[in-house]
Amino acid sequence: MNFRTFILGLAASFGLPWLCLIVLPAMKYQQLTPVAYDKEKDGLDGFYPPAPVNGQGQLVYIREGCNQCHTQMIRPSQLGLDGWYKGWGQDQEGRPTVAVRPNVLRDYLGEKYALLGVQRIGPDLANYGWRAPEASKLHQHLYAPRSVSDWSSMPAYTGLYKLQKIQGPASNRALNLPKKFAPPAGYEVVPTPEADRLVEYLLSLKKDHPIPGQSAVAAAPAAAKK
Amino acid sequence: MQTTPATSDADLQADNLRRAAIDKSVKGPVLFLFTNGAFWLMLSTLLGVLAAIKLVEPTFLAGCPYISYGRLQPAHINALVYGWGLQAALGVMLWIMARRSGQELRTGKSLMLVAGVFWNITITFGVLAILMGKSTSIEWLEMPKFVWPVLLGCFLCYAWPIARMFGRAFRPEGFMVSTWYILAACFWFTWIFITANVALHCLPSLGALGAGIDAWYIHGVILLFFVPVGVGAAYYFIPKITGKPIASAQLASAGFWTLAILGGWTGMQKYMGGPLPAWMSAVGACTGVLLLIPVGLVGLNHHLTTLGKHSAVATSPTLRFVFFGALFYPVSGLILALNSAFWTGAGLQFTQSWYSFQMVSVYGFFSMCVFGAIYYIVPRLSGCEWLSVRLIRNHFWFSVYGVGTIVIMSLVAGWQQGADLNNPEHWDQNFMNHVINSRPYVVSRAVAWALISFSNFMFLIHLLLMVAGLGRRSSAPTLLYSEHDDHASPAHA
Repeated sequence: MNFRTFILGLAASFGLPWLCLIVLPAMKYQQLTPVAYDKEKDGLDGFYPPAPVNGQGQLVYIREGCNQCHTQMIRPSQLGLDGWYKGWGQDQEGRPTVAVRPNVLRDYLGEKYALLGVQRIGPDLANYGWRAPEASKLHQHLYAPRSVSDWSSMPAYTGLYKLQKIQGPASNRALNLPKKFAPPAGYEVVPTPEADRLVEYLLSLKKDHPIPGQSAVAAAPAAAKK
Repeated sequence: MQTTPATSDADLQADNLRRAAIDKSVKGPVLFLFTNGAFWLMLSTLLGVLAAIKLVEPTFLAGCPYISYGRLQPAHINALVYGWGLQAALGVMLWIMARRSGQELRTGKSLMLVAGVFWNITITFGVLAILMGKSTSIEWLEMPKFVWPVLLGCFLCYAWPIARMFGRAFRPEGFMVSTWYILAACFWFTWIFITANVALHCLPSLGALGAGIDAWYIHGVILLFFVPVGVGAAYYFIPKITGKPIASAQLASAGFWTLAILGGWTGMQKYMGGPLPAWMSAVGACTGVLLLIPVGLVGLNHHLTTLGKHSAVATSPTLRFVFFGALFYPVSGLILALNSAFWTGAGLQFTQSWYSFQMVSVYGFFSMCVFGAIYYIVPRLSGCEWLSVRLIRNHFWFSVYGVGTIVIMSLVAGWQQGADLNNPEHWDQNFMNHVINSRPYVVSRAVAWALISFSNFMFLIHLLLMVAGLGRRSSAPTLLYSEHDDHASPAHA
């Protein structure tokens, strides 16, 4: 075997998977568009997926490397119990009647890079918007995770919050913190715009929209409730 | 695989002179890459300690927002892969290729040094950018967008002369295993790196497919760059030091081509059950398991080559590192197969076993082989011998036990995490059990990284002394478990 056949062999053996796994799927992906719901069959209006992600908030999520510990991907039941976890979908009951549907390609449409996650050290966030507490509580969770759960291994994102001296009346945006985590007297902690964007993003995470044409199972809880 | 032993003294003399000339021609770039790589390795292991501590106790140094786990972990991995891994690999590749092809490095030496300087400056900016909050959160490509064209250019400044050396050499027909692995590594890395960066940084948006491409990229860099360099070094040094030819040329050839054919398919099984089309992760899982074939072929070949020569493992530092590195290769293949097969992979998905695979291949296998290579190459370039047997021995034992601990603990932790995640009793509970159960494993990881940092500190000092020309002046190599005997003729030049 000479040099030429060697290089040709390398190019052929690597070129085939490169073409099949990367190039063709990437070209095909560009043609992926939102699909319209059928009012008759799905009982819903508009498009799936309905809205683009909150890009500004996602940038903060990306910057802080949240995906190192949080996935955004619900697996089908044969691979894991993700779909049955309490609060991991729209149904917030302890024993959901129907498993949350696994995620599909269109759920991440319009995202530059889907943050599927590196490890699952914390809970999955694909549908976090459904179970998230109100914004002020979420701010408290981000500022002092251990004020919510004392076993938490989540970092405290104090850098996203501003410690400021109370001048005049206290800010209505100031975090309501338990004593152990509260700032010194005369000071208050308020979210920066970045923290607000991050919280908006987290509250918007609802990747279990019913899929057009498959509404019989997936849309059942959505139709039943509210 | 070796050059035929010269019969007369004159031939031997000429041969030694030729080797010395080759060594001299690559001395600058190779030593530059090794020293800078060793600095990055030191930094990476320290960041590894810190990241593990932060994962257990996030309030540690809580005042500093630059070192939260989400920034430290990518910085740790990027320093390890691009700071240490690629630099050390290029050094070893350049030296082995020059020696194997019998070519002096004629042109491009200053370009190489400039590229090396640029490489280090860019990585410094990249790692700092991750810590300062400019991470892209694309695993293994967390450094900002501007980094990759510079890295690619610098890489090509090395890869092109390496390929040219191969082209110019006298080539007998047949399979020259170590140079082929090295040439292929140059070729594959360029292709994979361009593909992944163009797809993830230049194309408009790829959504979940981008995540799949990233997983493919990580597996590609490991299997088609780090693995070939490690295997290439093992194929070069094992016969060289045991004095036996490689046991089977057929096995070597089959091991190479099965890796070449299978390596490009694997990766997307990281997101099995995810949003990617099912066939992609199925193909990845299938090849992930099938890769046991090249792993087994190479492992068998190395085993047959070292058979009956295990005493050399005890005495030669190079062979000892390379031998244990080569032992980690089957382990890495096994962990890849465990992570890939749906049967076990579903439980291990998104757990620390992912970290276990990365560390066993980049540290356990690749880095150990490269340490061995460095212990062989540096004395020939700096003109002096390693100073202290004790430093080498400590480096070896701390590295082996350290990386062994990390790999085993992460794998067991992954199994534990998977079991916790899929435990029906945890359905309606929060993540408390998962977090608390995985703590001890992360503590052991922190301790293991601390031990490795300690050993790398010794390695770094030792290497710096050697590069400064302050080594032992002797014609006999530094061997473990034997008195330095200046009358003994050098076993290998």
